Amino acid sequence: MSEPSTPQDDVAVEASIPEGAAPLESILCTEELRRRPSRPPDYEKESRALVALATALADSKSNILQTLAETIRDVTDCDSSGLSLLTKGDGGKRFYWPAIVGMWQPHVGGGTPRNFGPCGDVLDRDCTLLFRHFEQRYPYLMPVTPSAEECLLVPFYVRGKAVGTIWAIMHTDRRKFDAEDERSMNALGQFASLAYQTLDSIDDLKIQIAARETAEAALRERATGLEAKFRRLVDANVMGVFTWNLDGKIVEVNETFLDMVRLSREDVTSAGMRWTDLTPAEWRARDELAVADLKATGTVQPYHKEYFRKDGTRVPVLVGAALFEKGGNEGVAFTLDLSEQKNAEEAFRRFEQQARSIVDSALDAVVAMDADGIITGWNKQAEQIFGWTRSEAVGRRMSETIIPLKFRALHERGLQHFFRTGEGPVLNKRIEITALRRDGAEFPVELTITPLESGGSWTFSSFVRDISERKRAEQKLRESELNLHNTQAELAHMARVMTMGELTASIAHEVNQPLAAIIASGDSCTAWLLNEPPNLDKARAAASRMIQAATQASEIVQRLRALFKKTTSMTAAVDLNAVIDDTISLVRHETHKNNILLRTELDPGIPLVKGDRVQLQQVILNLAMNGIESVAGLDAEHKLLMIRSTLSSPGELLVSVEDNGLGIDAEHEDRLFAPFFTTKPQGIGMGLPICRSIVEAHGGRLWAAKNQPRGAVFHFILPIPARNE
Amino acid sequence: MSDPKCIVFVVDDDPLVRDSVSDLLDSAGFAVQTFGSAKEFAQSKRPDLPACLILDVELPGLSGLDLQAELASSGVEMPVIFLTGHADIPMTVRAMKGGAVEFLTKPFRKQELLDAVQEALRRDSEGRLQRSETSELKKRLGTLTPREYQVLALVVTGLLNKQIAGELGTTELTIKVHRGRVMRKMCAGSLADLVRMTEKLKISSLTGRSTKVE
Repeated sequence: MSEPSTPQDDVAVEASIPEGAAPLESILCTEELRRRPSRPPDYEKESRALVALATALADSKSNILQTLAETIRDVTDCDSSGLSLLTKGDGGKRFYWPAIVGMWQPHVGGGTPRNFGPCGDVLDRDCTLLFRHFEQRYPYLMPVTPSAEECLLVPFYVRGKAVGTIWAIMHTDRRKFDAEDERSMNALGQFASLAYQTLDSIDDLKIQIAARETAEAALRERATGLEAKFRRLVDANVMGVFTWNLDGKIVEVNETFLDMVRLSREDVTSAGMRWTDLTPAEWRARDELAVADLKATGTVQPYHKEYFRKDGTRVPVLVGAALFEKGGNEGVAFTLDLSEQKNAEEAFRRFEQQARSIVDSALDAVVAMDADGIITGWNKQAEQIFGWTRSEAVGRRMSETIIPLKFRALHERGLQHFFRTGEGPVLNKRIEITALRRDGAEFPVELTITPLESGGSWTFSSFVRDISERKRAEQKLRESELNLHNTQAELAHMARVMTMGELTASIAHEVNQPLAAIIASGDSCTAWLLNEPPNLDKARAAASRMIQAATQASEIVQRLRALFKKTTSMTAAVDLNAVIDDTISLVRHETHKNNILLRTELDPGIPLVKGDRVQLQQVILNLAMNGIESVAGLDAEHKLLMIRSTLSSPGELLVSVEDNGLGIDAEHEDRLFAPFFTTKPQGIGMGLPICRSIVEAHGGRLWAAKNQPRGAVFHFILPIPARNE
Repeated sequence: MSDPKCIVFVVDDDPLVRDSVSDLLDSAGFAVQTFGSAKEFAQSKRPDLPACLILDVELPGLSGLDLQAELASSGVEMPVIFLTGHADIPMTVRAMKGGAVEFLTKPFRKQELLDAVQEALRRDSEGRLQRSETSELKKRLGTLTPREYQVLALVVTGLLNKQIAGELGTTELTIKVHRGRVMRKMCAGSLADLVRMTEKLKISSLTGRSTKVE
């Protein structure tokens, strides 16, 4: 049965009964029908009608409704007859008229609402009803002409369910329907129902067959598609594929799988190899689980396992399998060679391990911190130097773990500053700072912090080196430098004493001068007192001179003692001009003796320098003595020794000691400052090296040059300390 | 001290030493004049009295020894007493060769100094006397004619008139006349007087001079 066409004539379909419509009972005359005199049944006519219907049924299903309408008219001798069926598309909201014969024939395709019309009334009451002028209640029927004097309707069932009505109409009172009409209509209706039902069943069957055919076709297509795909998959050798049965046999296998396990097809097929043979013992339990899954669900989710290769080595694989049929015995397995991946994983794991071991074996503690200041990384060295294990440290606040209390606020501020500005004065460079150990001890560390942005947030990697040892070593170095310094001081002292040995005459002169004054004045003082009368004024003056001379003597002795004394270096502000003057008093005797003109040009404006007065005097003394010696032996008219002091540059003070003697032999120039190099018969060759080491210890430089027109000049510069030092 | 008969000069650059030495001499009754340097002394106007010089060896600029040499070369014959803080042998030798009266090292003993000063002043007085005698004789010697000078030089060697005449290529009588004039001009009472005079005037130089004349 083809889908009924929807009513094209959408005539005034009222949703409800209008005001003033006739009540249903007023237009029904079903009771009267039964009381009317009934004509005798015409069985002959009836069977002819049934034959016609049966023929129509056999001939063409599309004719059955039309034939039914015609047989109704024949049997009831009515003016119009037809049938109404509930629409299917909208769930039965309307009746439509698929077949009409007689005077209403032109209205084929029209219809009425389900809940407001004579057909609906019939289905509602599930019985035959006879209407008289139903247009009085259902005004939408008025335009349907000619109007129906009487209309007899009977329900139309399909499989026991009312699907519509069949009806006969008298447009005039030419005759009235009677009980016989009702009976024959019912009989025809029943027959039609059966016929329709049969028809419908056949149709359904056809649809079912068609549907099944379609499904089968699709299935077939799918099956062939699947198989083709499956075959392609197998042949493409993208993955290892083999088919098997649950008994352990390998039925079919592709090249990829053979390559994977390095077997030949013959190895697998002819030798009757079982897939269980390919599985190392420790993976069998996993396989059993897989088989259990297969039996239960027909498939196995991919899992990792290993197969033996022919040579006994193993290949890591990912394997998944499915039974061809649920509950069946055969299936397919897909295997993916994971060697490469495993190798890569292994390499990555090794690399990671290596990196970890590098980090762990690093001398530096490596501590990582996230943007919230929480520790996220902590290597072995960090465990060692801070005393927290990795598991304890990770998750703690960095500042509370390794930063001493007094620096924490600074750290937090620095962090905030960094987030605001992206700058941090301590980032990406080596700084020295104090860190906190778990036991509360603070120790010096060298720290490099590297910020790293990743995924929109910052992490900070810190490399921390415990420099306690280094600090101790530095301290030791300082101590040994001090020792060296002391050794140097001792050496300097030795050299000084030797120089002083050469200066005995000068020293004697220096000391004897005031002694002479003291003794002479003592004598004169006594004489004045013994005078008759004693000359007290002169005696007093003499006594005063004695005191003066004794004071002078004491000062001289003290100065000399400093030169002889073994002192560790003492740093003080030194007036170099005064040192030069002192030195001159020491060497004056030598210059006199050798008829040398000793001159000085001292800049009175030079600032003080920082240093050891005695050692600086030693340098000047040594240079002066060298100068004297170089000119002493000459038989020259003007033997000159000149000492100058001047401000050579804003930060440096220059002292020069020049003579016009023999000068420095070119061949000696290189060795001038070398230890134990000397041109003097009595020299030990330590004077100049010691002078140079003294000057360098004061942060200065000492060097020699040629003097013009002859002789040598020794210069040394000393740094002038900044004013605030 | 007014109108001193003699004076002591002290040259030392160290004022304390200078004053002490000066005061010591003062207390011993000497007139003293002090100088801070050799130059200062050399340029000073000194009274014409018997004097001596106490000189520090180690003076700045011109040293004590240099001053000694300079004074000698300029004809100032003043006895020198050296004072030094430290004496070495070459220094001492040079000083003594230069005619130093004494070479004292500081600190010196009072008596050593005073003795040295006494001795120096005595020497100077004597020297001054000698120097005045010699200059008189030189004045007399200057009045002689060259021939008379020649005769004098030969007479004091003890030659007879006849021998001198032979030496000079003239007559004995002429020599006799010259000899008489020499005796008068030189105020010599006897040949012995004349000989002593020529000794004082360093007769050897006269001999050399005669050689030069020829």
